[in-house]
Amino acid sequence: MERRVVITAASAISPIGHTRDEILHSLQNGVSGVQPLRDDGLLSDHIHSQVFGTVSADIPFDFERKYRKTMGPVAFYACQVVKEVVEQAGLSPEQLGSGRLGVAFGSTHGSPTVQRGIYETFFSKSGKRFASIGAVDYLKSMVHTTAVNITKMFGITGRVISSSTACTTSSQSIGFGYEMIRYGMQDAMICGGADEYDTTTVAVFDNLLACSTAFNDTPSKTPRPFDADRDGLVVGEGAGAVLLEDYESARHRGADILGEVVGFGCNNNGGDLIFPNVDGITATLKIALADARLDPGDVDFISAHATATKMGDVIESQAIRNVFGETTPMVSGLKSYMGHTMGSCGAIETILSLYMMAEGFVAPTLNLDSIDPRCAMIRHTPGLADYPLKVVGVQNFAFGGVNTCLLIRKM
Amino acid sequence: MTRDEIRDRVLTIFAEEFEIVGPGLDDDLREAHGFDSIDAIELLREIEDMLGFELSQEQKKRAMDNIRTLNQILDYIAGLAPEPA
Repeated sequence: MERRVVITAASAISPIGHTRDEILHSLQNGVSGVQPLRDDGLLSDHIHSQVFGTVSADIPFDFERKYRKTMGPVAFYACQVVKEVVEQAGLSPEQLGSGRLGVAFGSTHGSPTVQRGIYETFFSKSGKRFASIGAVDYLKSMVHTTAVNITKMFGITGRVISSSTACTTSSQSIGFGYEMIRYGMQDAMICGGADEYDTTTVAVFDNLLACSTAFNDTPSKTPRPFDADRDGLVVGEGAGAVLLEDYESARHRGADILGEVVGFGCNNNGGDLIFPNVDGITATLKIALADARLDPGDVDFISAHATATKMGDVIESQAIRNVFGETTPMVSGLKSYMGHTMGSCGAIETILSLYMMAEGFVAPTLNLDSIDPRCAMIRHTPGLADYPLKVVGVQNFAFGGVNTCLLIRKM
Repeated sequence: MTRDEIRDRVLTIFAEEFEIVGPGLDDDLREAHGFDSIDAIELLREIEDMLGFELSQEQKKRAMDNIRTLNQILDYIAGLAPEPA
C-alpha cells in the first residue's frame, strides 16, 4: 500500500518571527534575525563568533505545571509549535489518542541548558551535590525530550520517532513521518524539531573554524550563503512542526491542505563525519526525485542547506548542478535570514517554503551581494519575486554524513 | 521544629514548588492534586534541604511506598527530625 501524504498544519518559532505573518514580513522585507551573542557567563567570552540567530518573539507559554515540570527550554519550543498545529488542524482528543497518530520530533541533544545544570553539580564543592540533581533533570534533558513531552501534553499514543542527527534532525522527522503514513503504519504524524538558545553549539562550530566571525559588529550581514565574502555559519535557535496526514482522511475531514510530500531522499556519505560529499548529496537528490516519480525539470525551487561555510555551499552547488543540469531550479539559502537553527532547520525551512508556495513568491538569499564563482553554476533567486511554485525541494545535510531531501508539491 | 512549623514549611513548599495551594491535610495528594512520583522525589529533596541532612535510600523508599497525604508527610518528617545517631 502506498498512500498520498499531505501537510495540513504548520507552525514555526524562528529568529525571523513566530506567526505566519511575521515570518512572511521578514522574508518579503529582507529582515534578518541574527543578533549579537548574549553573555552567558561561561563560554561567550571565549567564542570568536559573536552572533546568533535569536528568537525575539515574546511567546507566552501557558502550560500547566504538570506539563512544565518535565520540560527544558527546548521542549517549551516544541510543545508550543505542536499546540499551534493541533489547534490549526482542530484535532480532537480522540484522534490524538487513537494510536493511529504518532510523533516524529527531535533536537540536536535535548536541553543543553539543563545538562549544564547537571554538570555543574558534579563540580560543586557542596556536600549535597547528588541530591541537587533534580528528579526531572533527565526528563528535561534527554535526547527525546521534545517528542515525549509532546505525547504527554496531547495524549498521543501512536509511534514515537526521535531523530537526533544534528542538522537533519527535523528533515528526517518529516521524511520518516511521511514514510509512516505512506506505507500505512500510521494515519497521521506530527513532525518537526526544536533547538534552544545554546552557546555550547556555537563553541563546537567555532572550534572547527566553521563559524562566521567577520561580521560581529554587523550581525544582519551574516551568514552569507553562496556569497564570495561568506565566512561560516551562524548558529541559531527555533522550532518547527507540521502535521502530516493520509490524503484521503484529510480530504474526508475537509482539512486545509498546505502541500503534499511527494518524495524523500535520505542516505549517508559512508565516510567522513564532517566534510560534505558531492557524490552523497547528488545521490540524495536523485533518491528523492525517484521516490516522487518526478523529473528534475519538475522542481521549481530549492531551499538549499546553504550554511555559508566555505566548502559546504560549493559542494551543494555542484550536486544541484549534477542533478538538475544547466537550468537548475531557483535556489535560495533561507539560513541567510535566520542562521542555522540546527535540529529545527529542516522543519522551519519546509514551513517557510510552504508559506512562499501559498503566497506565490520566492525570497532571495539574503546577503548574496557577490556570487562566489564556484557557486555560480546554479540559478540563484535573483530577488524578491512573485513566482508560482509547484514543486519545492528542501535540502539538509548533517555532521555524520547524513543527507536528506524532501520534495513538496502544491495541491 | 514543632508540627505546626513543619506544616507551614511544607505548605509553602507545596505552594511554591508544586503550585498546590491550601491542600486538605487528609487529601489523597495524587487523586486530588495530581501529585505524582516525580513530585514526591522532588519533595524528598526539599525535605533534605529543610532538615539539613541527606536521607538514606531506605528512608526515601519508605516514604515513596507509604505516603499519600499531607498528614502522613508531617508524621514522616516528625519521625526524621531527631538528629540521626
